[in-house]
Parts: sequence; C-alpha cells; structure tokens
Amino acid sequence: MNQTSQTNQSTQHLDPDTLNAFIDGELSPIQQQGIEQHLAACHACTLRVLSATQLKAATSRAGHRFAPPPEALARLTASLHDQQAQTKQQSQIRSAGRIYSIRPAAWATLAAAILLAISLLGWRQLHQTNTLAAELLDQHLATLSSAATPQVISTDRHTVKPWFQGRLPFSFNLPDTSALPPDTTLKGADLAYLNGQPAALLLFTLHKHEVSIFITQRSTSPAFIALPSTRAGFNLRTATTPDLRIVAVSNVNSADLDNLVAVLVQTQAPVN
Amino acid sequence: MFNAEPLPVFSAASSIPRTLRLTEALRIMPPITTRSRDFEQLALPLFASLYNHAHWLTRDPSEAEDLVQESFSKALRAFDTFQPGTNFKAWIFRILRNTFLTTRTGIAASRTVFLEDQPSTLDTASAGPTPEDILLRLDNQAALHAALEQLPPQLREVLLLCDVEEIKYKDIAAILDVPIGTVMSRISRARTTLRQLLQPQLGKSL
Repeated sequence: MNQTSQTNQSTQHLDPDTLNAFIDGELSPIQQQGIEQHLAACHACTLRVLSATQLKAATSRAGHRFAPPPEALARLTASLHDQQAQTKQQSQIRSAGRIYSIRPAAWATLAAAILLAISLLGWRQLHQTNTLAAELLDQHLATLSSAATPQVISTDRHTVKPWFQGRLPFSFNLPDTSALPPDTTLKGADLAYLNGQPAALLLFTLHKHEVSIFITQRSTSPAFIALPSTRAGFNLRTATTPDLRIVAVSNVNSADLDNLVAVLVQTQAPVN
Repeated sequence: MFNAEPLPVFSAASSIPRTLRLTEALRIMPPITTRSRDFEQLALPLFASLYNHAHWLTRDPSEAEDLVQESFSKALRAFDTFQPGTNFKAWIFRILRNTFLTTRTGIAASRTVFLEDQPSTLDTASAGPTPEDILLRLDNQAALHAALEQLPPQLREVLLLCDVEEIKYKDIAAILDVPIGTVMSRISRARTTLRQLLQPQLGKSL
C-alpha cells in the first residue's frame, strides 16, 4: 500500500484510506504498529479511529437486516437435491455415450435419449413404482443374456465382497457358502444403479434359476416405494435391514426366493 | 476432416456391453455424491448471509429468495471449478453477484452509474460532521437503515461485503471484479457518504 511511508512517520495524520484499512484489519503488522504509535500521540486521529470503528460496528448491525423466511432453507435443499438427482441420471446416460466415437448424425439419437431420460424423471414421480419394477426387471434380464459377464466372476464371498470396497459408499455382508439355502450358488457380482443410487448386484443361481439381488443404502433412497410382488412373470422381493435395502428378482418360486432373502438379511445382523 | 475414416456406428446405447457402461459410470458416480455433500457443507451455512445480501441487492424478499436459489444451483453445477483451500464465501458471493447482474433488477441497477472510481481525493477536513457528533447518534438504528438505503448501490454493496460479511479487500476485489485500489477508494467514499447522509438527521435526534 502506498500509504506505508506516511504511516511509518508517526507525526503525520492518517489519510482516509489508511484509516479504513486500519479499522478493517487490512494492514501488515509493521504498518499497524506505525499507526498505533501515531495514535498514542495524536488525540484527533484517535477520535477519528474511534468514530470510524463505531460507524463500522453500527453498519454491521444495521446491515444484518433481512432474515430468510423459515421455510426457505427447506425449499432450497429440496431444489438442490432434485438437481443432484438429475445430474446423476444424466451423467449415467452421458457416460454410456462417451465410450464410442459417434457420427454427427448419431448425436440426434443421443440428444433424444437424454431428452427422454429427462422427461422420464418427471414422469417417474407419478409412476415410480412401475418404473422401479421395470428398472429392476431390465437389469435382471440383462444379466440373463449370455453376452453379459459380471465384473466379478466368483463363488467365493471373500473375493466378491472386497471387490466392492471403494466402489460403493456402504458395505454389506455375504453369507458363507454353507449358510446358503440348498442348491444355491453365488455366481458373481456387478455394480448397478437403482433409482439413481449405486447398488451392489449379486448374481445367484437357485435350482438353475438366475437370481439378481440388489443391495442399496437405505438412507440415500428415501423415496423407495413398495414394489409389486410380481412383474412379467418374475417374482420381486424387498427386505430391509437398519442400513440396507435388499431387492431380489427371479423367476424361481416365491418360497425359495423368500428363503434366500431371509438368509441375506440375517447375514447383515451384527455378529455378537 | 474427422469424418474421413469410417467410424463404428452404434444405433443405441443398449448395444454397448453392460460391463463397459458400468465401468465408465463407476468413474463418474462416486465423486458426484461426495462432491454434493462437500458443497452442501460449505454452502448451506452461508444461506442466511447470502439471503441478507441478496435482499439488499434486489430490495425484494421473493426476488432475493429466487436469486439465492439460482446462485446455489449455479454454484453446485460449477463446484468443480472451485479450488479447495481458497475462499469459498468469496467464490459463492461472486456467483450471487454475477447472477444478480443478469436479472432485470440487476441490469437496471448496472445502467445507473453513480460515481467514477478514482483515487480518493476527498478533503477530510470538510467531510461533514465531527467524529463526536457521529458518536452521539450511532445508536440510532433507523437512521442507519435509512442512510444505507440512500447510499448509491455500488457503495452500499462494498460496505455490506466489508462490514457485514467481513470479507477481506482482496476477496471483495475478486467478487466485484475490480482492482483492490478501487475497493479501498469505494470503501472510503462509502463511509464518507454514509456520514454525510447521517448528518441531516443529527438535528432531529438530538
């Protein structure tokens, strides 16, 4: 600051910029010391500093004037969460498109897909149950295709569970092979997205039927609505633990599916 | 031309192997969740301050709320560009101000130029009431509200950032997009003008 030379001379009165910088705490310790020396000897400048400090404090009090309406914060957080949900959805769609170079003509298709996804977001507020059931079924059907290989192919829970570390914002337990219902095998696992939330997808075979188990975190999916128990001939089962939500999809009979879900729920209980 | 070589054409996203989609999604998903949480932790405590400032800028409660909401939304989208360790408050106040300048009220306000920014040439000897006079009447909140309202918006803004929000000169300079010298001269002028505005009421309150 160009006032340094002046303020160091303790005989010179403070110019307005220096005085302001002084009361705003913007000066270096050396500059500040120079001013304090001057103030000790100059009554007029001391009064000016005192008055300026008072004015600053009064401005601060008077400036804190408008408090937001009580429900404004809730409105804000709601709109932020909507925005976050949309961003997540769009980034999933974008990520699917980014893998390949796309001919300019194909951009139109992609744009249409994004638009469709955005409008779906609005639509699914009304038809969330159906949409979620369809989403589950689609993901389950995708695992049935012979071309689809899960990211982890293993029957060993000690291989499957650690794979999710760092990939999911939560953890869960897997039952030991001996604890599984008869004729049930863990085939592998994958990462999936359900209702816009990351989910662990566990693939089992039960009496030669494929079973998809989706595990999501309860706290991040509050809008999870009760699912129909069947859809397009497949059984859907939902169970919850204090932290997790488990959804099973399969065409195996209801009793066997219930059994497997019950085992998974039990496994999540803390070991005493 | 980038189209010279034949490129593979994929008619729909569904033809992409599922594992590939997930790998890609994996790279993008977790940061978004943590990022939004970080953003909310930094931004929500500033809500009341931003609302107060927005109200001073817009002079209207519902416009102020809209402005704050739009600023939060923009800030969340641009949160990637925020550098951790730098002043978040200054960053989001800058977004608030720039958002305000694109509103109808903001455009109208920016058309009105009140004072030239120039080095302070004010004569302190003739700058109005003596400090003692001011001391007598600073407890008069209503007078200060009135004086702040009469202050030219450009000067009121800098004073609110400095005295109410307690933001440093260099950060105010970044918010207003002006050199630090301009911030200093505006603060000097704002306080001198505020004193002059308080002066006529001196007789009434004594």
